[in-house]
Amino acid sequence: MEKNIRLSHMSHWKTVPYKKIDNFRDYYYEDKSNVCYYQDWDRILRYHKQTGYEGIELAPWDLNEILGLFGTPQNYVDFAADHGIAVSGMFHGCDDSHIAEKHDEVVQAGKNAVDICASFGGRHLNTCPGNNYYGNGPLDSQGLKNIASCLNEIGEYAESKGVQIGIHNEFFCVSNKYNHRQLIEMTDPRYVHYCLDTAQIALMGDDLIDFYDTYKERICTFHLKDTADIGVSDAVRFSQDVEIQDDGHRWFWEPGEGVLPLEELWRHVADYGFKGWVTVEDDGAPDYLAAMTLSSFYVQQVLGKIYR
Amino acid sequence: MQFSFSTEVVDLDHQAPNRNKRESKYFWDEMYRLISAGGFCRIDIPYEPKWDFGGRSGIPRTKRSVDIKFGNTEGYLKFLAENGINGISSVHLDPTLFCRGSVGMFLGAAEHYGMEAIQFAAEAGAEAFILSATPTFYAVHRTLGETTETEFLKQMKDLVQRLADAAEEQGVKLCLKNEYWGLLRGEIISDFVKGMKDNVFLDVDTAHLSIAGTDVQKFIADNQKRIGSVTLTDTSFSDDGEAYKQVMPEFPAKSATWVFRDPGYGKLDLSAYADAALQAGFDGTFHLNCRNSASICRSILRARYYVDHSLNA
Repeated sequence: MEKNIRLSHMSHWKTVPYKKIDNFRDYYYEDKSNVCYYQDWDRILRYHKQTGYEGIELAPWDLNEILGLFGTPQNYVDFAADHGIAVSGMFHGCDDSHIAEKHDEVVQAGKNAVDICASFGGRHLNTCPGNNYYGNGPLDSQGLKNIASCLNEIGEYAESKGVQIGIHNEFFCVSNKYNHRQLIEMTDPRYVHYCLDTAQIALMGDDLIDFYDTYKERICTFHLKDTADIGVSDAVRFSQDVEIQDDGHRWFWEPGEGVLPLEELWRHVADYGFKGWVTVEDDGAPDYLAAMTLSSFYVQQVLGKIYR
Repeated sequence: MQFSFSTEVVDLDHQAPNRNKRESKYFWDEMYRLISAGGFCRIDIPYEPKWDFGGRSGIPRTKRSVDIKFGNTEGYLKFLAENGINGISSVHLDPTLFCRGSVGMFLGAAEHYGMEAIQFAAEAGAEAFILSATPTFYAVHRTLGETTETEFLKQMKDLVQRLADAAEEQGVKLCLKNEYWGLLRGEIISDFVKGMKDNVFLDVDTAHLSIAGTDVQKFIADNQKRIGSVTLTDTSFSDDGEAYKQVMPEFPAKSATWVFRDPGYGKLDLSAYADAALQAGFDGTFHLNCRNSASICRSILRARYYVDHSLNA
């Protein structure tokens, strides 16, 4: 049976300090803890492959260390390929995109990110459209237009490099509940796509199923995760440093561990016939190996019965 | 002898199970009680603006984070006191984070955040502002461009002096820490500080000096007038694979190992080094630093055990 979904995993592993640990047993005995199981790319990529993932999405904040360990993007790509893993894409943040004077700088940074993503063979540059709401919102229509303008230029350049940029609207982003659909409408559908982060949309207070049905033609990829908090209040979403809660409250859960109607969503995905990368995001999980395994089980054994 | 315990025991940078909770305030709020329960009533704080950029203000490692969560430094000190910590002994800034783009950009950012860290240290009543003498070898060489290493060090020296003057004005000692992965590792730093004003002090970090191949006791004797702080770190590591040149020098590619060990778990005689510092006239705080521990609570208690049973305190 033909597979429509390619499963990837967002690299929220904090900096991985080794390329490959050859003296694994001796190293283990130094401390006799499980920390050494999470310290080299060799083992982390093995975990990806063996838990059912075909891809990894890179985090830009890791690039300095990745390039320090591997020398070139191609070396990383080859190493990952030896483990049966491809780079599906990379994340990017368009900070200051709402500020007209920053336009050229933001677009250049976006183009640089496209080049980096392409150099790793990535297809998707999943892009947070702007800064956090706190300190920057609410935006007037010109601010929104400025963001759209940046995204359009970056997107056009991305297409020429074989990369798709997808808006990834965090629930605490400056474009938010009251104008994020407007932002999508202001961008050029030829160049700017959408990365549907299932939890972020619900946290923001939008209707996940309606959003998918409305924008299914723009959705180029998914960040698949669950949440137990639908429609977080403005006061919370617009507050300072909201992503990490003081009391350890988690916004995000592994698919199936929250309350989102993911099976219903998947029936709509099946009806439309989406084909491409779906990336599990486990940010906030205490144990990524357990989280990625739970997520993979859900995608393949629960959602997979609906559409794979 | 006075001791403090460094919150650098918490590794935020590298992957480990249960690492994510370290970004939330509740984790740190409890940490002070754990440190206090280990018999330490003062702390050393690594100053890391990296977490400001990601909006991680639950991590109390900058003035911004403290201002957001506690109102101001005074509010933070009050909270610490309520949880068993009576003071902040020192604040340590490693400017490697800023070493990218160009030398000019690095120097500008390092000075900006250096001044900010000094202000925070002064507000906190800390004795010392500990500054990594240079970024890592890797970061410097990635950033030099047309600038020579000699010229870079000259500009670094000028920056250090400006920061030392500012620190002195605010009643804080600037102490240079020469990590084994920096350009001034080992004894090289002695020549670097020659001729500088006497408001530039040295932090004796025992593991870093040892890994760089330095006789720690001789280093203390040779630089006794400059010693401003002592950081007791243990190690069993010998850098025979030039790990100091790596992007992450704390993780030697040649053979994986825990470079930094809890006191008493490496090969260094920290007690002898502490005695040497006392004999050299050092009367400041000894910082116990179990950097980037794999088991935070064990590290706190191991440090306490070492202080009680191995140091001539």
